[in-house]
Amino acid sequence: MKTVGRDGSGALRARSIVVAVVSLLAAMLIGLGANAHASPLPHQGRPTAADAKLPDTITVGTEGVYPPFSFHSGGKLTGYDVDYFREVGKRLGVNVKFVETPWDSMFAGLDSGRIDIIANQVTKNPERVAKYDLSTPYVTTTGVVVTRKGDDSIKKLADLEGKKSAQNITSDWASTAKDAGASIVSVEGMDRAAALLEQGRVDAFVNDELAVKYYLATHKNSDLEIALTTDDTSESVFAARKNTHLTDAVSAEIAKMKADGTSKKLYDQYFAVEAKGESSWDVVKENIGPMLAATITVTIPLTIVSFVVGLVLALGVALARLSSNAAISWVARAFVSIFRGTPLIVQLFIIFFGLAQIGLKINPWPSAAIALSLNVAAYAAEIIRSAILSVPKGQWEAAETIGMSRATALRRIVLPQASRVAVPPLSNTLISLVKDTSLAATIGVSEMFRQSQIAAAPSGNFLELYLTAALIYWIICFLLSVVQTRLEDRLGRHIAR
Amino acid sequence: MTTHAASGSSPARDARGAASGGAAPADSSPLVEVRELRKAFGDNEVLRGIDFTIPKGSVTVLLGPSGSGKTTVLRSLNALDLPDAGVVRIGDAQADYADVTRGRDGRAKGDSAKRVAAVRAKTGMVFQQHNLFPHKTALANVTEGPVVVQGVSAADADTRGRELLAKVGLADHAEKYPYQLSGGQQQRVGIARALALQPELLLFDEPTSALDPELVGGVLSVMRELADEGRTMLVVTHEIAFARDVADQVLFMDGGVIVERGTPANVIGRPREARTQAFLQRILDPLN
Repeated sequence: MKTVGRDGSGALRARSIVVAVVSLLAAMLIGLGANAHASPLPHQGRPTAADAKLPDTITVGTEGVYPPFSFHSGGKLTGYDVDYFREVGKRLGVNVKFVETPWDSMFAGLDSGRIDIIANQVTKNPERVAKYDLSTPYVTTTGVVVTRKGDDSIKKLADLEGKKSAQNITSDWASTAKDAGASIVSVEGMDRAAALLEQGRVDAFVNDELAVKYYLATHKNSDLEIALTTDDTSESVFAARKNTHLTDAVSAEIAKMKADGTSKKLYDQYFAVEAKGESSWDVVKENIGPMLAATITVTIPLTIVSFVVGLVLALGVALARLSSNAAISWVARAFVSIFRGTPLIVQLFIIFFGLAQIGLKINPWPSAAIALSLNVAAYAAEIIRSAILSVPKGQWEAAETIGMSRATALRRIVLPQASRVAVPPLSNTLISLVKDTSLAATIGVSEMFRQSQIAAAPSGNFLELYLTAALIYWIICFLLSVVQTRLEDRLGRHIAR
Repeated sequence: MTTHAASGSSPARDARGAASGGAAPADSSPLVEVRELRKAFGDNEVLRGIDFTIPKGSVTVLLGPSGSGKTTVLRSLNALDLPDAGVVRIGDAQADYADVTRGRDGRAKGDSAKRVAAVRAKTGMVFQQHNLFPHKTALANVTEGPVVVQGVSAADADTRGRELLAKVGLADHAEKYPYQLSGGQQQRVGIARALALQPELLLFDEPTSALDPELVGGVLSVMRELADEGRTMLVVTHEIAFARDVADQVLFMDGGVIVERGTPANVIGRPREARTQAFLQRILDPLN
C-alpha cells in the first residue's frame, strides 16, 4: 500500500496491520457493502459542483507533529498546511476546525466521516485520485537524500545501494530509497529518521525538501546535510471524500491565493526560518506547562473515569462469572477472554474507527474511556472474582443464618472482606491504566504523552521531553502506590498480624 | 419417638422451670418436629431417615462419632444444607423437603424459598469456628442481623446488643474487633449474635471443639445459663459432662441414623446399644 507521499510521523508497520485488521473486522461486521459509506455528513451539499453548498464548519484532519506543515508553537496549532487551510476557510467564509489525528488514522478518519478534509501534505497519486476528491496542488516539492556532513559516499541516488536508509515504510520516499537499492529501516516520521541518522544508526534518509530544509534551519547543531536532490517531485493536495465537491471550492481559493501572492508569503514564512538554539532546560520549561495541563485535564480524568466505570463493570462480570446460570457465566467468561486476549490499541481502533463505519460515531475521549473501561473490567473481573472466592464459606453461612439474602451478604459481609484481598492486584491494574492512557493519543486524544510528542517533533529534544513524560507517569504511579499502601493498612486493620 | 423433657431432675433444670415461669407449655405439641430426614452428598448417604422432636424450653444434645451426620442434622434444620426429603417443622413454620423446588445452584426457589426461609428464621446458629464478621466490632456483629434483616432501629439494636454482650460476659468488649478477642470470647460473641434475632431454637455446632481447653468453661457456662432461662437448644458436642448435666434429651447418632435416644441418665449412664457404649468409652477414656 504505497499511499503516503511523505515521511510524516505515525506510520508503524504494526499500526498499519492494526488498521487493516480493524477494517477487515468492520467489513465483516457490516457485510460486503462496507464501502458504501452509509451517509455523507448531514451538512454536506448534494453532488453537483454548481449548487454544492458548503458546510458551516469544515473539520480538517492534520497531524500536529509534522513541522513545518502541521505542528505546535507556543501551545498553538500552526504550520504551513494549517495556516494555508485556515486562509482557504476564511476566504470561503466557513469555520475551520482542526482535529489532530495520527497519520495512520488520517484516511480512516476521512472514510468514517470524522473529518471532512485532510490538510497534511497529502501527495497526489493515482490511487488517491481514484478514491478521493483531491484539490489542485497547493505546494510542489522535491525529494532529497540527506546524509551526515562529510559523508561523500552518496553523490547520486544509485549510491544508496546497500546503504541503510531510515524511512516511513508506507511513504513514496521509501519507494524511492528502495528502488535505489537501499535497505530500509522503518521509522515513524522524519524527526525519528533524522535522529537515527545523527546517531549514526543509518546512512541516509529520503524526504521532502521542504521538511528537510525546515529541519536543518531549526536544528543549528545538526550534523546533517542534503546530499542530493532527486528527480521525484510531489504535489501536495487537500483530500476529501468522493463526491462531496468540497475540493472544488477549495481549489478555486488555492488558485486565487497563488495569484495574489498569499501562497508565496506563507511559503516564505515557513521555509525561511531561523533556528532558535534553545537549551534542553528551556525546552522542558517551555513544554512542561502544556504537559502538566494535559495530565490534569486528560490523563488523570481519563484514568479515573475508566477505572470507576471499569470496576463497576468488573463487579458485574465477576458476579456473572460466579453465577450458577451457565449461559450468564459463559457470556462473562467470553467477555473476559476477548478483552484480555486482544490488544488495547485494537480495541481502541475498533471502537473509534470501526464503529464509525457502521454509523456509530463516538468522539475520541469517550472512545478512549470506553475501551479503557472495558479493558479494566476484563482484568479486574478476575481479580474481584478470586477475591470473593477467597472469603471463607463460613462468612456466607453466618450471613445466611442471620437471615441475609445473598445480595445483602455480598454487599455487607463478603465484599468488604474481599476488597482487602483485591486492593494490591487492583492497584496494579490502576497503575497499568495510567500508562495505557497514552494509547489514547493514537485516536487523537491530547493526553500528556501526546503533548510531549508535539513538543519533541519540531525541536528534536526527544530525550528531555520523553524523560519528562516518563517522570510525570512515574510520579503519578508512585503516588498511587502510596495510596495503595494506606488503603491496605486501612482495610487490614481488623486482621491480626 | 417421644422423649420427655421433664424426666430426671437436676438443680439446673429446676431453676430453668422457674425462670421460664412454668414447666411444659400448655400446648402439648413439641416446638421442633423432624420427620424422615434424608440427605446424601453424591453417593454418600449422610442422613438415612432421622426423626425426633424437641419440646419447647428443653435442651437436646446430639452425640455421635465424627461422620455420623450430627452436623448435617443441625445444618438441615436451618437449611444451610437442604435435605433431600423429610419434614422440618419449627413452631408454625414447616418445610417438606420432598416438595421443595431447587434452582440450578441447589438452593430453594420461589415459594419453596419462602417456606425454607421461614423455618430458618426460627433458628439461631452458633458455629464451631464462630464465623464472626472480622471487619465488624463485637457489637456490630450482634446488631447486624436485627438492623439489616429485621429493620430494628440502630439505637434499639445497640441497646439490645449491649445487653446481650453483657449476658455473655463481654460488656466491656463491645467495641473490639474479633481479632482482639480470645477464642472463647469470640465464641460468646457468636452466641450473642445468634440470640440477637430472638430465635425460637438455638443450634450449636460443636461450639467448644475449636477452643483451647481453658476457654471451654466460659462458653459452656453461658450455654448452661441459656438452658436455665428456658431456651430451646439443639447442641452437637463432645462435652459429655455438659450433656449429662444440662440435656433433657440425648440423641446418639451413628451412620446417618439415631441409634439410641433418651434421658442423659439412660443414654449416657446406662447405654443399651453396643455402638453407644463403644463411643462413650472412647470419649471418656480415650487412652484405653
